[in-house]
Amino acid sequence: MEKFVYIALFAPLVSSLFAALFGMSPKKTFVGVIASLLLATSFVASAILAAYVVQTGHGIHVTMMDWISAGDLAIPFGFVVDHVSVTMMVVVTLVSTVVHIYSIGYMDHDKSFNRFFSYLSAFVFSMLVLVMSDNFAGLFIGWEGVGVCSWLLIGFWYHKADQSPEVNPSISPSWAANEAFIVNRIADLAMLVGIFVLYWNTGSLQYDVVFAALPYLDESILTLAAIALFIGAMGKSAQFPLHTWLTDAMEGPTPVSALIHAATMVTAGVFLVIRANPLYSMPEVSEVSFFIAALGTFVAFFAASMALVERDLKRIIAYSTLSQLGYMFAAAGLGAYWIALFHLAAHAFFKALLFLGAGNVMHAMHDELDIFKMGGLKKVMRGTYLYMGIASIALAGIPPLAGFFSKDAIIETAFNEGTLFLWAMLVVTAGMTAFYSFRQVFLTFDGDERYKEFDIHPHEMYKFVLVAMSPLALLAIIAGFFQGAFQKFVTSSPLMPDYVMSEHTHHLAIYLGILVLIFAVGGIVLAWKKYGNGLKRDEKCENSFIFQLLKNQYYIPKFYAEFISKPYYLLSQIMWKSVDMKIVDATVDSIAYLFFKGGDQTRKMQTGNLSNYLNWMAVGLVLMLLVAAVTALIA
Amino acid sequence: MDNILSVLIFFPAVAGLLGFVVDKSSARVYGISVATVELLLAIWLWMSFDGTNAGMQFVELIPLVPDFGINYYVGVDGISLFIVIMAALMTLLGMIGMSIEKDIKNMIISLLFLEMTMIGVFVALDAIVFYVFWELSLVPMLYIIGAWGGPRRIYASIKFFLYTFTGSLIMLVGMLFMAYLYYSVSGVWSFSITDWYALVLPVNYQVWLFMAFFAGFAIKVPMFPFHTWLPYAHGQAPTIGSVILAAVLLKMGTYGFVRFSLPLFPDASVMMIPLITVLAVIMIIYTAMVAYAQEDMKQVIAYSSVSHMGVIVLGTFAMNAEGISGSIFLMLSHGIVSGALFMLVGVIYDRRHTKMMSEFGGLAAVMPKYAVIFGIMLMASVGLPLTIGFVGEFLVLLGFYKVSPIATILAGTTIIIGAIYMLTLFKRTFFGPITNEANRNLPDLDTKEMSALVPLVLIVVWLGVYPKPVLEPIDTSVKALLSFMEEKAQTPEAKETIILTKQTKEAE
Repeated sequence: MEKFVYIALFAPLVSSLFAALFGMSPKKTFVGVIASLLLATSFVASAILAAYVVQTGHGIHVTMMDWISAGDLAIPFGFVVDHVSVTMMVVVTLVSTVVHIYSIGYMDHDKSFNRFFSYLSAFVFSMLVLVMSDNFAGLFIGWEGVGVCSWLLIGFWYHKADQSPEVNPSISPSWAANEAFIVNRIADLAMLVGIFVLYWNTGSLQYDVVFAALPYLDESILTLAAIALFIGAMGKSAQFPLHTWLTDAMEGPTPVSALIHAATMVTAGVFLVIRANPLYSMPEVSEVSFFIAALGTFVAFFAASMALVERDLKRIIAYSTLSQLGYMFAAAGLGAYWIALFHLAAHAFFKALLFLGAGNVMHAMHDELDIFKMGGLKKVMRGTYLYMGIASIALAGIPPLAGFFSKDAIIETAFNEGTLFLWAMLVVTAGMTAFYSFRQVFLTFDGDERYKEFDIHPHEMYKFVLVAMSPLALLAIIAGFFQGAFQKFVTSSPLMPDYVMSEHTHHLAIYLGILVLIFAVGGIVLAWKKYGNGLKRDEKCENSFIFQLLKNQYYIPKFYAEFISKPYYLLSQIMWKSVDMKIVDATVDSIAYLFFKGGDQTRKMQTGNLSNYLNWMAVGLVLMLLVAAVTALIA
Repeated sequence: MDNILSVLIFFPAVAGLLGFVVDKSSARVYGISVATVELLLAIWLWMSFDGTNAGMQFVELIPLVPDFGINYYVGVDGISLFIVIMAALMTLLGMIGMSIEKDIKNMIISLLFLEMTMIGVFVALDAIVFYVFWELSLVPMLYIIGAWGGPRRIYASIKFFLYTFTGSLIMLVGMLFMAYLYYSVSGVWSFSITDWYALVLPVNYQVWLFMAFFAGFAIKVPMFPFHTWLPYAHGQAPTIGSVILAAVLLKMGTYGFVRFSLPLFPDASVMMIPLITVLAVIMIIYTAMVAYAQEDMKQVIAYSSVSHMGVIVLGTFAMNAEGISGSIFLMLSHGIVSGALFMLVGVIYDRRHTKMMSEFGGLAAVMPKYAVIFGIMLMASVGLPLTIGFVGEFLVLLGFYKVSPIATILAGTTIIIGAIYMLTLFKRTFFGPITNEANRNLPDLDTKEMSALVPLVLIVVWLGVYPKPVLEPIDTSVKALLSFMEEKAQTPEAKETIILTKQTKEAE
């Protein structure tokens, strides 16, 4: 079985390096094909491993070689394929394979076609390292690796110029890429601190050793580690207040948004919390865990609110990703780790589908993203309409699609834990989710054909691309039916606690479900009423304070620009021009000048006049005698 | 071969002297051949080095002035071995990538002479020999900056020389006093560092001596607030000068801390941790901010170099094997990466004769190979895992966390602010549309530049993925150093600190 571990892990790396060979040459379709085949290989290997884990009930642990050893620290390249990681592997490689195939069509006209595949496969490799690693340092390799790939891919169209935030809120791809990298680095520092805390208190970074040592640690240490690691997770999973980069990341090509900024990388933070569940389940850190749930709930609501008024197709979906990540954290924070993982997987399928559908629309609309300029696209894009419809129904949580089961379970958990406030927020958010999802669908596909004004002639995507998307559509529909089987499989792992609803909740479950459903259907109906028959703009509403607040993302990006970026730049300028040049360096130069001046002045003694010299000699003699006398006296 | 260290030291010097009779047109080839042989010798040294032995190897001792205990005394251990190899490597690659045509013969001779002094410093085990090489290294660098530098080269080179020279003189006084102390205890003079190690000094003497040595090392590193000579030196130096300066010469300072300060003055070193920590943290954050404010690419790299040296200094005083080994590894990786970055800036300077970022933009489309290599070095510079830059930085921060979590978090901001200035530089230079017509038809890297840079890329990846061959010998020697310090420390506070900082909970 070991060989499958290596095949699953390294096939994407091979793919990346292969594509990199052609990175600077013109488009070659076979690069995309071979990359997709290698990714499919990785998927097959992952599936075999999954079957193995299901059958035998235990994982596979391999140690490839040593990485860093110094002092008492020993970090190997070790990989563990267990219930949790194999789930992630299957999800990641499946979505990646679809996205790779999709990209062959989507990036068809891009001159950097080969380079794109190199980055995309490198991302998959990093993501697999992240999920398969058997220690925190290895996880950090993947963690940073996906960060770099995300940087490369957001900034893929690096040649675009910066624009003012009013024209383009993301400024430019290269700007958005840097923002994403730097914001993530802030979180990564906290994550490193978490790693240091664990190392110095357990003597290792291996998951099994660390988890085994947890019961012996002090409360303060556990709390610190839990907080630090969670801040790390907040960066990758774009939780408030480190969330701004995710919407800006939509500057990247759409397949990237589907794979990285929806299905896989942004879930890494959730994965970390799930992976470290022995830590977050400790009774000593229950407050941290509750904070995670509360923050998740807040982000779910907060992001959904911004999606209500957004006009940019991709940004709407990005907000919905943020919101769904919030749901996952809510579940994980409440201790329902398997439910978080289940929603993670289900979300990956329907969100990737949604993004890929958005990519088709973009392709058709010549990169136009404003849904106010679309409408009536269902006539020309039947397949895409169908896919995006399915994905949106799943996202809205309508049974029997995947999103219903996974999201409903999270909402039920909030009820079961007695955190009724969180529960209420999550229910309301479910309604908002349905509303903005269908607002987007109706504005894009139904109503009047507003695009005609802009002289755009939309066309459907290539057939093979639509076929490639079908597995995701299928999974978005049926994944929910496997809830029970999934629970049984994942929680059979010793590292994965089960979570079951109490009797009381169980009895009420049907009513709770219906309540959520009412909100969801209500949201859809409202969206239909407002937007089903074309776009009617409401000036008064659009000028209201709330609308403007939401539209400007609560003025948070502006706040960051004005109160963090600019002051930092100005302070740096002061440090250089005033402090470094005028104080530090000027002091050094003035000391040197003092010597120079002193020498220059005393040079006048050298007159060449013998009697002058004799005078100086006398002075010197007297001085020396004086010194001798004084020292003699003191002694 | 028992005399391999002497061969390593004097072969470049002798070859340099012979270089005077070499024809001008073949000077470059001659220099590269000599540097290649030197590198092969250095690698051979590594191959015959026993990584499990923590002590000095290939020791040579020839009395010079027996009455005063001055000997030609050299040896190499895990700490110095790789710096020697790096010095040889960077000299060779610097020569290969060099674009200078003017007075090429003099340049080659200067570089070979410089190579002798660099290797001499790192293998010297006698304080006087160390001091002689230390000071001699200034001469060729003074000449390189002064003769091939930019418009303000005279100011920059004199500042460089006088500033570092002042510090070294104070260090010399410290050395003389050390020898005197040895004499007053044992009745014989000795300048041998290994003899000095045996000397147990009263704490107040240790503090004064520590400060004297500190003056020499801190200016060389350069530590805040003694760093201002560096931006001028880098700003005016030709590419090759900056490469050697950043890669090797700065490491003399941090190497000095490990070779002299820690084992000679263990109590004072522990006492000085707070002071060093404050300086190092200021150095990391402050110079990173200054780097961000720069308009000139080379100045960004120059200040970033100071910032990263701060991390190295911090690791040296972590008093545990994780931190100190990491610090030494970081010396190597900083040498490789900053050397490469200076070469890369030189590449664009050769083409456009400017280093101002505002002149560029969109270079990634014009010079893709250049952009890729720059990108890799950028990532190594910001400490991406699986590049050489991560290993040392991670270990240093990990090690120092045991000493002071707060200081580690402050120093750890290097991963954020380092990314800020480097990514800004990259964006302004490589991304965006091509706004300046002069950049539209720039040629990409040529064979000469590729052959200097590609080996560095390979090393960056190799030692990032598999640092063990280098880290293991370093770690062996560092562990020996630490147990020596633990034994030698007199004050209970110092002993306790040294013992405690290396313990994980499990070990208790």
